[in-house]
Amino acid sequence: MTPTRLTGSVQHGFGQWLLQRLTAMYLAVFAIWLATAVILDPPAGFSAWKAWFAYGPVRLAFALAFMSMLVHAWIGMRSVFLDYLKPLWLRILMHLLTAVFLTALALWSAHILLVEAAR
Amino acid sequence: MSTTNKRPLKNLYLPGIQLPVGGVVSILHRLSGILWVVSLPLMLWFLQQSLTDDSSYQRVSALFATLPIRLLSLILVMIVTHHLVAGVRHLLQDVEIGVTREGGSRGAWIVMLTVAVASSVAGVWLFK
Repeated sequence: MTPTRLTGSVQHGFGQWLLQRLTAMYLAVFAIWLATAVILDPPAGFSAWKAWFAYGPVRLAFALAFMSMLVHAWIGMRSVFLDYLKPLWLRILMHLLTAVFLTALALWSAHILLVEAAR
Repeated sequence: MSTTNKRPLKNLYLPGIQLPVGGVVSILHRLSGILWVVSLPLMLWFLQQSLTDDSSYQRVSALFATLPIRLLSLILVMIVTHHLVAGVRHLLQDVEIGVTREGGSRGAWIVMLTVAVASSVAGVWLFK
């Protein structure tokens, strides 16, 4: 039996595992907070909705949620691809498409929070 | 890894093998995650339209009054509730809660039940 070599990739895997759980916990709290807020006090028209969104802590909570969601999505999609896609070229292609997709969403959500919501 | 059993499995009657409820919840966790990622652009678009100006806010509100968008919202609520509750189950299993065969099944049934209750409530709220 060959001795187990602890290389950098082992720590990398643990980092992803931990990151997936930390983002999950934030997203769970965020989702429950958002659902409660919207159910208890439904947005009453455009100005009220806009005013709620212009409030700094709300936008910060959303920004953290978007970041967590995109990181969580990347790690999750990656494990799905690694489990179900066998050909290397297909894995690389799907990783690439997912990376482009999630980067676009990151830029778009940043634009919404920094430009649309702040106007 | 064990290399003692190299014999291929024979006479495996596949229809007789049932995926346990924990397996079903696990697969649905992955499926709901993928569907959620795919639906992110649509939700970002809704958010953007709702924040642009008064007329676009009215347009999105009117959209949410239509049957197809209400049905879609209900499906998205089911997807996110399932992913959330099944995710909590995984987190609890990380700290050794519900990791036995019985505990895993019980947890999986609790997940299914919670999703059913939550989507019923959401359904009533959306279609009242």
